Amino acid sequence: MNRKSYSGRVLAWLAVIMFAAGACGSTTTPAATSKGNITIAGFAFSEGSVLAELYGQALQHAGYNVTFKLNLGSREVVAPAIKSGQIDLYIGYAATDLEYYNKSAGEATGDATATTAKLNSHLQSISLVALTPSAAVDQNAFAVTKATQQKYSLAKLSDLQPVAGQLVLGAGPECPTRPYCLPGLMSLYGLHFKSFKALDTDGSLTRAAFKNGSIDVGLVFSSDGDLNSLGLVVLQDDKHLEAADNVVPILRSAVATDDAKNVLNEISAKLTTADLVQMNAQVQLLHQDADAVTKVWLQQHNFGM
Amino acid sequence: MAAIESLIKWFADPSHWSGPDGIPTRLLEHIQISAESVAIGALIALPIGIVLGHYGRLGNLAINLSNVGRALPSFGILVIAFQIFGLGDLPIILSLTALAIPPMVTNSYVGLREVDPDIKDAARGMGYRGLAQLLRVELPLAIPLVMAGVRTSAVQVVATATLAALIAGGGFGRYIIDGLAQFDYSKLFAGAVLVALLALATEVSLAGLERLLTPRGIRLVKVAAASRATTFKTA
Amino acid sequence: MHGGLFLQGEEQPWIITDWLFTHVQLFIDAIEQHIQLTVIAVALAVVISLPLGVAAHRWRAVRNPAYVVFGIFYTIPSIALFALLIPYTGLSATTAEIGLVGYAVLIILRNVVVGLDSVPPDVVDAADGMGYRPIARLLRVELPLALPAIFAGVRIATVTTIGLVTITAVIGLGGLGQLILQGLVDDFRTPLVVATVLSIALAFVADLFLFGVQRLALPWSRGA
Repeated sequence: MNRKSYSGRVLAWLAVIMFAAGACGSTTTPAATSKGNITIAGFAFSEGSVLAELYGQALQHAGYNVTFKLNLGSREVVAPAIKSGQIDLYIGYAATDLEYYNKSAGEATGDATATTAKLNSHLQSISLVALTPSAAVDQNAFAVTKATQQKYSLAKLSDLQPVAGQLVLGAGPECPTRPYCLPGLMSLYGLHFKSFKALDTDGSLTRAAFKNGSIDVGLVFSSDGDLNSLGLVVLQDDKHLEAADNVVPILRSAVATDDAKNVLNEISAKLTTADLVQMNAQVQLLHQDADAVTKVWLQQHNFGM
Repeated sequence: MAAIESLIKWFADPSHWSGPDGIPTRLLEHIQISAESVAIGALIALPIGIVLGHYGRLGNLAINLSNVGRALPSFGILVIAFQIFGLGDLPIILSLTALAIPPMVTNSYVGLREVDPDIKDAARGMGYRGLAQLLRVELPLAIPLVMAGVRTSAVQVVATATLAALIAGGGFGRYIIDGLAQFDYSKLFAGAVLVALLALATEVSLAGLERLLTPRGIRLVKVAAASRATTFKTA
Repeated sequence: MHGGLFLQGEEQPWIITDWLFTHVQLFIDAIEQHIQLTVIAVALAVVISLPLGVAAHRWRAVRNPAYVVFGIFYTIPSIALFALLIPYTGLSATTAEIGLVGYAVLIILRNVVVGLDSVPPDVVDAADGMGYRPIARLLRVELPLALPAIFAGVRIATVTTIGLVTITAVIGLGGLGQLILQGLVDDFRTPLVVATVLSIALAFVADLFLFGVQRLALPWSRGA
């Protein structure tokens, strides 16, 4: 056999095999009998995955074909995705979502129902709808280490006013543009920090920054499961900067069938803040998977698993 | 085009040119981290590569070091360094230095090896020995490749330094990461343009430095050997 | 479940084997995506580089602009390139692949040209003398002789791409890079360390595999 055509053939076959191997990775689509396809996205922090898995699995067991897009990003990424139809559903927080879609008009209050109603008034024109808010709440919270708390005798955010100039604030990079973050701290509490350090949204960078003292005040979430074990103390939001950040599913009107809405509202009705904290603790401290943890919750609340 | 328009507006905004998040500050941060890493890397890598090349020892190791370096995922190295050393410049510089070393070792080794043995013979015949031969004969001949190694490392370090923003580092990477988080396309675009320009500027200026350092006579002879340096990309 | 509260002072173990052994599928899925992204990038790069390389070898007017254009592309840091593409191609595999293909093309293109350049002119002459027409000569004489160099380029491009794929985690992809990102976000060392090690291992395996293919396909030449 001619050497050159031999090598040519070997190469040709290998090319075929490689392409086949590459193409083989594509996911197979499940059963044809389903109530429809729903793509649910989760924010890029562990609670985002927990909530996405929770509602998503409920829909799965109600007969929907659910695609999960976890750790998609911040609201700045998720909102455009749902507006353009790349995803169908995400689990938001009433007040923060309202202030996002109304371009920081400052309409959110401590009343979850009123806040959600206002949110829907803005969502209508972009074919989205927010469902009934849950009693479970997760707000932005600002924490300090126990040492800092004792040093400046801090109990509430107002206590920071005289000393803010000596302190460094750490949060995710989106904080300087979010009304419930830096701008709100500045305008409502008059806090002018020494500097701002862009870290992550309540992730390992923020925790590391607390540990090595490169930040004094950091953004955490009120439903975090590991604040105690990290020696962090949340300062009370005495002037109510943070409004009703109740968990609320937001979905495209096109997929908002009565059946789907019922499933989602049922979950919202049964979910409590304590549940969130517990699930977060299991994920953050015990490194359990979000989907395993939510499966247990769904079973405990008899969602026909 | 709307993207270009908003990009120009972003650069035209004076507030983006001052303060801790301003272009000059970020530029300095980026250059400082990169320069430190390349310098430390060179201090370690060049002597090793040059000595190995001069004596012709451990050639396989020297050459395969680049293969190993190429296989290292820079993102993973940075995050592991963060886990070990926490926040700050130390983990970043350590990671960047580690990534800078392989191409400089390989290129200096090859550069020294490629010196024409006849020339080395002639040098010995002229009375040069050991260190003098190395410094006055071999090194100048090897400069194009040695500098190509430094150039490759420098450009890769500048590129990887961009990733440092993921572990709360500064530099132009900050604009890209923050732009992604804030969905601020102008900032994202601006950061990308600035980083690209900085990488290109590094490549061009070090190529210029290479020409300056190459003795005139050799410049005429060695032509495209330096192109061998560019196949090392970690970011 | 292994692992309890990691209180301040208690160091998190680098690999929690319990978690690792119950999450093998995660890594398998990640490796699959990683391989997919790499194979597509390198395959496309070969498809582009071969004809482009032939043209560049033949006509100086193609060679220099090609080197300059892809050279500039290559110098741009990958995360910056992805950022520049996002407004146009979104947070998608397309964005990642454009970057990855571009980088691989420069590596392979150079090697195609160098390989073709290194074909001894005597051989080319002999082929002409034997009556080969230009295309036949290219396909049956020049390219096969250039294969060792081309293979070397494909190997380097593959190893490089495997490393760069991890960075695409920043735009939602990443293969093993996703697990590295998870390690960063969740402060969890196990996926971080294992994914990094697997990425390095994958690069070595791919390089070895291609070396084996080269020896199979080109039995008369030692690997470059």
